[in-house]
Amino acid sequence: MIRILARYSILFVLTLLVLAIMSFSLAYLFPGDVLENLTGIVPANDAQRQALERQFRLDQPYFVQFFFYLKNLFAGDWGYSFTSGIALRDEIGIAMPATIELATYSMMIALFIGIPLGYYAGMRCYSTSDYIINTSSITTYSFPVFWLALLLILVFSLQLDKAPLSGRISLLFDVEPVSGFILIDILLSDMQNKSLAFKDALSHLTLPTIAIGAVSTASMVRITRRSVIDARHQPYIAAAVSRGLSGWQIFFRHILRNALLPILPLMAIQITTLITNTMIVETLFSWPGIGNWLIQAIYQRDYPALRVGMLAVSTLVITLTITVDMFNRLIDPSREKYEHAAI
Amino acid sequence: MPQYSLYEEEFHPSPWQRTWRAFRASHIAVAGAVLLCVFVVFALFAPLLTPYGANEQNIDGLLVPPSWMGNGSISHLFGTDSLGRDLFTRVIYGCRVTLGSAFITVVLAMLVGVSLGAFAGMLRGVRSSIANHLPDALMAIPTLLIAIIIVAIFGTGLVNSMWAITLALIPQFVHHTRSLVRTEMKKDYIVSSKLDGANKWQLFTYSILPNMTEMLVVQGTIALSIAVIDISALGFLNLGAQSPLPELGAILSDGLDVTYLAPWNVALPGMAIFFLVLSINVVGDGLRSALRKRVNH
Repeated sequence: MIRILARYSILFVLTLLVLAIMSFSLAYLFPGDVLENLTGIVPANDAQRQALERQFRLDQPYFVQFFFYLKNLFAGDWGYSFTSGIALRDEIGIAMPATIELATYSMMIALFIGIPLGYYAGMRCYSTSDYIINTSSITTYSFPVFWLALLLILVFSLQLDKAPLSGRISLLFDVEPVSGFILIDILLSDMQNKSLAFKDALSHLTLPTIAIGAVSTASMVRITRRSVIDARHQPYIAAAVSRGLSGWQIFFRHILRNALLPILPLMAIQITTLITNTMIVETLFSWPGIGNWLIQAIYQRDYPALRVGMLAVSTLVITLTITVDMFNRLIDPSREKYEHAAI
Repeated sequence: MPQYSLYEEEFHPSPWQRTWRAFRASHIAVAGAVLLCVFVVFALFAPLLTPYGANEQNIDGLLVPPSWMGNGSISHLFGTDSLGRDLFTRVIYGCRVTLGSAFITVVLAMLVGVSLGAFAGMLRGVRSSIANHLPDALMAIPTLLIAIIIVAIFGTGLVNSMWAITLALIPQFVHHTRSLVRTEMKKDYIVSSKLDGANKWQLFTYSILPNMTEMLVVQGTIALSIAVIDISALGFLNLGAQSPLPELGAILSDGLDVTYLAPWNVALPGMAIFFLVLSINVVGDGLRSALRKRVNH
């Protein structure tokens, strides 16, 4: 166990180091001035430029520059945005929780709807209900997420006028950001009409969550179904049947747990898709998350923002992925390293 | 010793024939294959099938509704967009651009991924550990992020978005090739080839590669559907194909400006992407279950 933990910590640190090197080299790769890309400060005159270059060690070898960059990263000094002039750390601190919130709720939908449906379809495999579930999951899985979000906007926001079009919460409510999660913040705050604000935030959340959650749910159904069918064909199930266990006993004692094992590593892959989909859907709903922020940054060629945003998002995704993978390895030591199941 | 064969003819279908039989048994899969063939025909013969040029404007017919609506006309089957371009023509050219670029992307990613994966699968020790873990970690970086970085460095354009998607697809091929090579290397037929004195290159080309084609076909269909969605998503976000180029995502984002007036400008290109991806997924699913049936029997 300690060996596994050590292995994964080394992997984690090395990956983050590679990402930090990539993010540092982006300052040189992006068009424009290195100093401006690195700091986000546009120097007014030559004297200030030289002072800044000395301050950020740009007159020294790359190695020293990189270590200074790392030190700044850890100190929370991430530079300033070209467009807003605000410290990037503050901007990301607001945008990141918004994305995590959206992604979490979508993942919840995928877990609480997708896995039970997948179990049901897998246990009744090759029956009519299985075909219906399987067909609808393939269909949902094939929806381009941006088009699905557009259709939801067209139908529910514009035609039926049931849900708000954009944003996180109506401007009437002033919520103090504490945790960054809007629902938790509303519960924590001491405003008068808490329930109204909560309802409003929930109605803003519904459409984007459905748009992202639908695709994740569909792939979760497919993964679970395949895993259950594979588990049902194992010899230990035949042994359990011949010992005279009832269908429910076999399901709860053998299939339920064994089918969950291959799902976990596939979930790690799902996280990447989930974050990509969240980033795309955010732009459509003007959700103030990191995806929307990054896309605005690329439209305005805000290079410091892109450099740090890339580092932040990939750190988030890799932390989640490696944690899930490590978890999987800890609960299932028999598994060979990094062996993934098929859908 | 029987003098004659009990059966009229002894015919053993080849593995691919058996796969095809199992595939044909599923009606849904065949329907998907037919739909995919239609899209491929669209892609190959777009100039012959379309009545207008992809960027040909008709000033007298702006935002003509599709032909099945009340005031639509048959001369524009899917209607026209805000510049008077025929939507049917643009959607067919869009299939050509999107499917074609997705196909090239997947082939490139497959070539690079399989060679890297074969190397990683045959390595041992620390080098193998590095070659194993790095692609897995890179696999976690979202496609959109890679695309944003590439666009920031090289600028927007279809070709740049194709590079981004190729980069994002490679780790998957590396991963699957590597795990397949590792499991095959432990099997007896490889050991016997090794005892015959085959070197690693011969082992890979003569013994492992033929066993890998099926996995590659299945992974290729999965990658193709991902590539189509990603290319159109980047086109939609204006990070990939730029506006006059008929790429399905770019057509969709053009149509977004006139959603209220002409909803078909959003609905039809979106449906084209949806059916394209659906047909690829259905064919991939059918292939997978056909291969599974063949292996199990």
